[in-house]
Amino acid sequence: MSRSFRIYQKKRGHRRTGSGTLAGLGETLFFGLFLLGGCVGLVAILATLVIPEWRVNNEFGETTCVVRGKELVEENGTEGPAYRPEITIEYQVDAERFSAKTSDIAWASSQDRQAQQAALDQFEVGGQYRCWYDPLDPQVVVLVRGYSWWIWLLLIIPISFICIGGGGVLYRAWHWGKSAERRAASAGPISLRGRDSNGESQKAFPTVPSPTDMTNSPGTTLRFRLPISSSAIFGLIVLLVVCVLWNTIVAVFLVDVVKGFLEGRPNWIETFVVTPFALVGLFLIFVLFRQLLITTGVGPTLLEISNHPLYPGRTYELFLSQAGRLRLHSLELSMVGTEAARYRQGTDTRTETRCVHRQSLFRREKFEIHGGVPLEVRCRLDVPVGIMHSFKSDNNELNWNLVVDGKVAGWPDYERSFPVVIHPEPSGGTRP
Amino acid sequence: MNDPLVTIRFDGNGRVYSPGDILSGEYRLEAFSLGRIRAVEVSVLWYTEGKGDEDMAVHEFQRLSVDHGDWIDPSRPGRFSVALPNSPLSYDGAILKICWCVRVRVFPRKGKQVVGQRSFVLGNVSAVELVQS
Amino acid sequence: MSVSPPGSDGGNPFSTRRVRPGALPYFFPAGEDASAVLRRLAAGGWRGQIVGPHGSGKSTLLAALLPAIEKSGRRVILVELHDGQRRLPEKGTFYFSKKVECPLFPVLVIDGYEQLPWWRRLLLERRCRRHALGLLVTSHRSVGLPEVFQTHVDLLLVNKIVSHLLAGWPGVIATEDIAACLARHGDDLREALFELYDLFEQRRGGAG
Repeated sequence: MSRSFRIYQKKRGHRRTGSGTLAGLGETLFFGLFLLGGCVGLVAILATLVIPEWRVNNEFGETTCVVRGKELVEENGTEGPAYRPEITIEYQVDAERFSAKTSDIAWASSQDRQAQQAALDQFEVGGQYRCWYDPLDPQVVVLVRGYSWWIWLLLIIPISFICIGGGGVLYRAWHWGKSAERRAASAGPISLRGRDSNGESQKAFPTVPSPTDMTNSPGTTLRFRLPISSSAIFGLIVLLVVCVLWNTIVAVFLVDVVKGFLEGRPNWIETFVVTPFALVGLFLIFVLFRQLLITTGVGPTLLEISNHPLYPGRTYELFLSQAGRLRLHSLELSMVGTEAARYRQGTDTRTETRCVHRQSLFRREKFEIHGGVPLEVRCRLDVPVGIMHSFKSDNNELNWNLVVDGKVAGWPDYERSFPVVIHPEPSGGTRP
Repeated sequence: MNDPLVTIRFDGNGRVYSPGDILSGEYRLEAFSLGRIRAVEVSVLWYTEGKGDEDMAVHEFQRLSVDHGDWIDPSRPGRFSVALPNSPLSYDGAILKICWCVRVRVFPRKGKQVVGQRSFVLGNVSAVELVQS
Repeated sequence: MSVSPPGSDGGNPFSTRRVRPGALPYFFPAGEDASAVLRRLAAGGWRGQIVGPHGSGKSTLLAALLPAIEKSGRRVILVELHDGQRRLPEKGTFYFSKKVECPLFPVLVIDGYEQLPWWRRLLLERRCRRHALGLLVTSHRSVGLPEVFQTHVDLLLVNKIVSHLLAGWPGVIATEDIAACLARHGDDLREALFELYDLFEQRRGGAG
């Protein structure tokens, strides 16, 4: 069962407001019914369809028969009439003569009258045909063999019931009476549970994000070029999509409004309704252009580092390159640590962030960057002793970033963020 | 009769450890009768506290169960010993704290579970400095 | 040392594990208690609503009521609806089949009932009536069920809560601080407690 719903339990936290045992029993019963239904369905389909069909194709004996009569039988079902070809034949098994009515082994009906009639028309009264009989009961005989694809599709239903029910029962049985510590221990040693693909890094430093993403791009001056935080670019793309969609829809109605005015028959109601939407559209365009200016007008910011991940008490070299044609009030590079905590209760999902560390690494004021001649700066990063490492769990994080803040004359201020990972000092004093 | 109680003590009365150190100690089950305990679980774990939902992970877990043939004598202290990991380190932040502890949970044959817990510090991370309001 | 009492292990007494519903008792105003609320609920045919603004303690009150409902012989089916959740997590037959499995007159308890659209609420209420299922909901506004309690936040209540939380930390937060905090957040006790978390951290110096 989806864990988004729990009987007797609060969705979050470890406290229960009712009987956990009864809740577990109820859940087990629910899944047990699914499992039972699936098993019964599977047995029924196997016994009445799959196995008989297999026996026809593998165990039935072959003989020759004569068709004595045929008819298309009509049955009234809940979804309308259904049809089934029935053929009366005479045949001999060993020295014994038999007469029987036959259809396919499942005696299946169909609402497709034409198809069933076509199957019937394959046989002429008085004609001789091959037939196959059950050696255990020669009275059971068929005129056609082969496998029906739809039977295999039918198996999906009981199998899915078994998977849901069996999985739920197993899950419940596995967790029955288990403490929170035992359940957490069953999930394996401390891990981010598939959050990070770098298994080796995870084993050495549980809950510390992998530094792989920051070290897969070599630098031109120092060892690694740090990737920029993608949120700014992604935000711009989202804003662009929203702006285009909104204004496209508004434009359709706006054209109609303007047309009305030009033709001397203005529709005031439509005008009043469309106007606020048009104003919002204009605002979106303004915001989009502003963001575009910030992102493109400022020029790329590159940051390279001598080594990564970072360790407390160590020193690293940084290389900063800022391009563009800018007159800056100030440009500052800082190392910033930010805590993030997510809390869900009732209809609230609340995420709070708090800056807990800001360390200025480089600052320059009142200067210009000329087009084609980017500002290039080298500086040192001394990671303080005793600083907390990067941390990431399901609901809480401590993230470290190198942040470039630019205050540009006549231009919106900008901020560019480069994530870094700080590891704890490794045990045994091993130097990175 | 006193209520059942679990007490935990660390060897050397230590409370501050470094990554890779061996955390060892003993736990005592007080006011439990012989034969009345079905199982005992000893966990070394960390959990978060603060303004976010709590996260928790178990570093080391040991379960003694009478059903599996283990002998549980409440008159004798139980011992635990584990090598501590590199992370996460104990942390006293602004809206996030990371706490380490040893937790002993006793499952009696009848009645509610009894839990004992003792905290310790892993690492030597400086506390966050906050701005006074 | 065995189990750590709240606040004395160095943790912040306003952290989420100490203030979330179920961790804090519900402080009823004078003349009210869980039994009185249950009596009103029973008088209304086990249909009722708890109404109150955001963060005023509705979920905390529910956590206090559910054990009392079970003690009265009724089983509880609890559903929490988060922001944006416009339907119950399971199909309707799931809840109403419980009646067959559990002949102890279950009560369907829905926290965040206003999340459901009006037509879903109507269908649900009809089905509850048909299947003799009780229905107790929390909502930010009236949803047409008999009102069994209205939560609201005042200085007296917040003082009680803070005193309870600060049992191991006398003198850290003054009544004036609480009043100022409440003035900023109005009826939203949850936000007020989050602000007190920050104040507590600052006052104790952030020491670990």
